[in-house]
Amino acid sequence: MTLSILFAALAGVLVGVSRQINGRLSLSTSPLIASFWNHLVGFVALTAAGLVAGGLIPPGAFEAPWLAYFGGPIGVVFVAAGSWLIPRIGAVNTALLVIGGQMVSGVILDLFRSASQTLWASSLGVILILAGVVLTRRR
Amino acid sequence: MTAPAIHRPNPLHLLAAFGTGGLLTLMVHFNGELGLHGNALFASWSAHGTGTVAAIVLLGLLHRRSRGDRGPYGRAPLWAYLGGISGAVTVMLTAITVNSPLALSGTLALGLAGQVVFSLAADRWGLFGLPVRRPRMNDLAALGLILAGSTLIILSGAGAI
Repeated sequence: MTLSILFAALAGVLVGVSRQINGRLSLSTSPLIASFWNHLVGFVALTAAGLVAGGLIPPGAFEAPWLAYFGGPIGVVFVAAGSWLIPRIGAVNTALLVIGGQMVSGVILDLFRSASQTLWASSLGVILILAGVVLTRRR
Repeated sequence: MTAPAIHRPNPLHLLAAFGTGGLLTLMVHFNGELGLHGNALFASWSAHGTGTVAAIVLLGLLHRRSRGDRGPYGRAPLWAYLGGISGAVTVMLTAITVNSPLALSGTLALGLAGQVVFSLAADRWGLFGLPVRRPRMNDLAALGLILAGSTLIILSGAGAI
């Protein structure tokens, strides 16, 4: 359990590390080029990991709807946007606003899917996040 | 393009960052679909593959001639090309933790904490060659509010995130 906690926190740290590194690359190249290298290097690393560990292409993997493959191209825009933003508004602002946007849009998506969520809690969460976003603008 | 050390962030930049979070929700949703039919490794692997192709197409469409002008930052160091490794390791770690007693909500909450702690250090010391920024009082208050709100949403069981 301690190891799981460590892993989960480390995963968060690594999200920040890659955004910081991609941000540095984009300063010398461009956000889209940084995003390209991020995806290519990640693809090579994951291919290597899959070949070592096995199970890279599990049975039934290609039965997913074609729309599901749009996650990759969306990710390209996501990484490029993060690389562009981080030198401009800083790591803390980038992390907080992306997290805030993810949470609020997640709540909205869940409303459309009518997935289970405790509505008063998620609504209060959205209000707190929006208040925080407004606060980043005030002196 | 230099990175201006402005104290007060441009509202359009903030809006863009917030909208980027919405992209992340879509991406997680689609990748989750791939993971459902395959597994977490397959989802991330194929997303990186289709992403690489998409990036090449976009670069081809948006190709500009301004070559050799690297601005004040010069050539990128070799390590700056390795951000993708960090992303790949993230996938492997979270694939382990979502199947541990932490489950998805614990993984998200702890990941959030890890991101925030790292970003504070990254701004404070300008890690990996990016500008140093000192947080203002309001930034820390905003941090508290956004973290509290996010924790509430995660605990409320919103499944898409």
